[in-house]
Amino acid sequence: MALLELNKMCVHYGRIQALSDITLHVEEGEIVSLIGANGAGKTTTMRAVSGIRPLSGGSVVFDGQDISKLRADLRVVRGISQSPEGRGVFPGMTVLENLEMGCYTRKDRAAIAEDFERVFDLFPRLAERKSQVGGTMSGGEQQMVAIGRALMARPRLLLLDEPSMGLAPQFIQQIFRIVKEINEQGTTVLLVEQNAQQALSRAHRGYVLETGRVVKTGTGAELLADPSIKEAYLGVA
Amino acid sequence: MNAHQQAQTSVRAPFGQRVRDWWNGLNRFQQWGVLIPLVVLIYALPILNPPLLTTEPGTDFQIALFNAARFALIAIGLNVVVGQAGLLDLGYVGFFAVGAYVAAILTSPDSALRWDYPWIAIIPVAVVVTMATGVLLGAPTLRLRGDYLAIVTLGFGEIVRLLADNVTPLRGQRGFQDVGRPEGLNADGTAIFNSSDGTPWYWLVVTVIIIILIFVGNLERSRVGRAWVAIREDEDAAEIMGVPTFKFKIWAFTMGAAIGGLSGAIYAGQIGFVNNQKFDVVTSVLFLAAVVLGGSGNKVGVILGAFVISYVPDRFQAIAEYKYLIFGLALIVLMIFRPQGLLGSRQRLLAKGRQAYRKLLGRPEQIAKESAMIDSAKGVQG
Repeated sequence: MALLELNKMCVHYGRIQALSDITLHVEEGEIVSLIGANGAGKTTTMRAVSGIRPLSGGSVVFDGQDISKLRADLRVVRGISQSPEGRGVFPGMTVLENLEMGCYTRKDRAAIAEDFERVFDLFPRLAERKSQVGGTMSGGEQQMVAIGRALMARPRLLLLDEPSMGLAPQFIQQIFRIVKEINEQGTTVLLVEQNAQQALSRAHRGYVLETGRVVKTGTGAELLADPSIKEAYLGVA
Repeated sequence: MNAHQQAQTSVRAPFGQRVRDWWNGLNRFQQWGVLIPLVVLIYALPILNPPLLTTEPGTDFQIALFNAARFALIAIGLNVVVGQAGLLDLGYVGFFAVGAYVAAILTSPDSALRWDYPWIAIIPVAVVVTMATGVLLGAPTLRLRGDYLAIVTLGFGEIVRLLADNVTPLRGQRGFQDVGRPEGLNADGTAIFNSSDGTPWYWLVVTVIIIILIFVGNLERSRVGRAWVAIREDEDAAEIMGVPTFKFKIWAFTMGAAIGGLSGAIYAGQIGFVNNQKFDVVTSVLFLAAVVLGGSGNKVGVILGAFVISYVPDRFQAIAEYKYLIFGLALIVLMIFRPQGLLGSRQRLLAKGRQAYRKLLGRPEQIAKESAMIDSAKGVQG
């Protein structure tokens, strides 16, 4: 059984249909990438999965249970956590406080301490800057805070929305390496990216979104080799 | 690092930051050593009636102090809503009015619903009714954000005022006379709490403020307080951290309403008369001005702001007529040069993180200073 299943999921913004009949699934232990152009509905898909955006049709099934109507904060308790588009770091809180917000729903202190260790292992830079205020950090560092904070919920499914946005090339490499590492430690990852090359080469499988629909799916390697995708998203004529 | 060094090393830090560093640098006993004389001084003010501070002959100094304290209490309540949770409330006077009216309806001989319970029993009723009003207003409107919420709350304030104008049992402009006061007589048989002597009222409100400050301070440091800060800084992000944002927004609204209602009930008692004339939008804006002027999110700041807004027109009668003009200009200047208010909130630090850091390094945390910026600049280069 898939960890996450979207069945014919639809989302509207007012009268405008942003997503129509999105059907996809993420198996436990996978990295799945959603790629697509601006406005294809990638971020909306993420927001619908994490519960910030209500569905207008279809369903979201997590771990065998329909969570379509579940409040966003309760989805975190179930094991879905998100690093949002634009990072969403709390600008006035320190790195430490941001990470503490990540485990807001948890009370298992011992395990939380372990997770702090884990996050500081993955992002040594954050360990150096525990007391720096989020708003004064560089984009790459904020991205680390956002991912670290999402991990502090000890999620079963980690949603990463454009982790490479606005970052310098060496940061992008680093972020994707860490995503792979997180996945190898046992967290399932659903990744939204414009950087299709990176996203597909690291992913087990991928989906291509176009104007709110899934138009193609396959393994990362298959999609990378697909001529139409090469042309549209990889900039290779 | 002791307080003296701290003050020297951060000469260029903003005043509020320096005060905070100095305060955090003191140990517990030193903090009490400063706090206790300060509190004694505050209590002694109406008796001392210091020559330069006094508002007489224009305004009775004790009454002026009571009004400043009442304003401070309101500002603390509004600060929970605006400063802590970041919900812009332009109709706060509505809660104040509800508190005043509940007290009046339950104690005035003009009211059919008069109870013969002691004053102290009326206060919790006023607070609970106001809290219920807060939930009633909050439940449908707190799904709105930012400017939309501000507009709805503005409407709420007006609705309360119009109800007072038009609902017959609320007696419109005739109002309610002889609103209840705390019991107790002086040795000569006159009531301790009366409308001409501000001193006992001032002491009462200062005491209430101290209790509320302790309560609100604890709330701030709790999970509730953290949730409020998260909501204020990024509501979506707070939600995906698992914060039930709607619930906590209602909480903030209700807490703010309770404090507003409490001050309304006390105010009604002091004046002894409640009618529909005192609860207009301008009053709401004045409350908000106190919070913004003093420093939204900073408890001490908003008390200072409230003091300025209430005391200055009483002290300088000559300018009282132009107070809106002057406050308006002052706010504009302040927003340009010091948008965080006189004593800005450090926003950031929840005491918890600060304590953790303190334990870690054995010194108070220094945040958002130049040093942090330089560090991050270096980090980007390297």
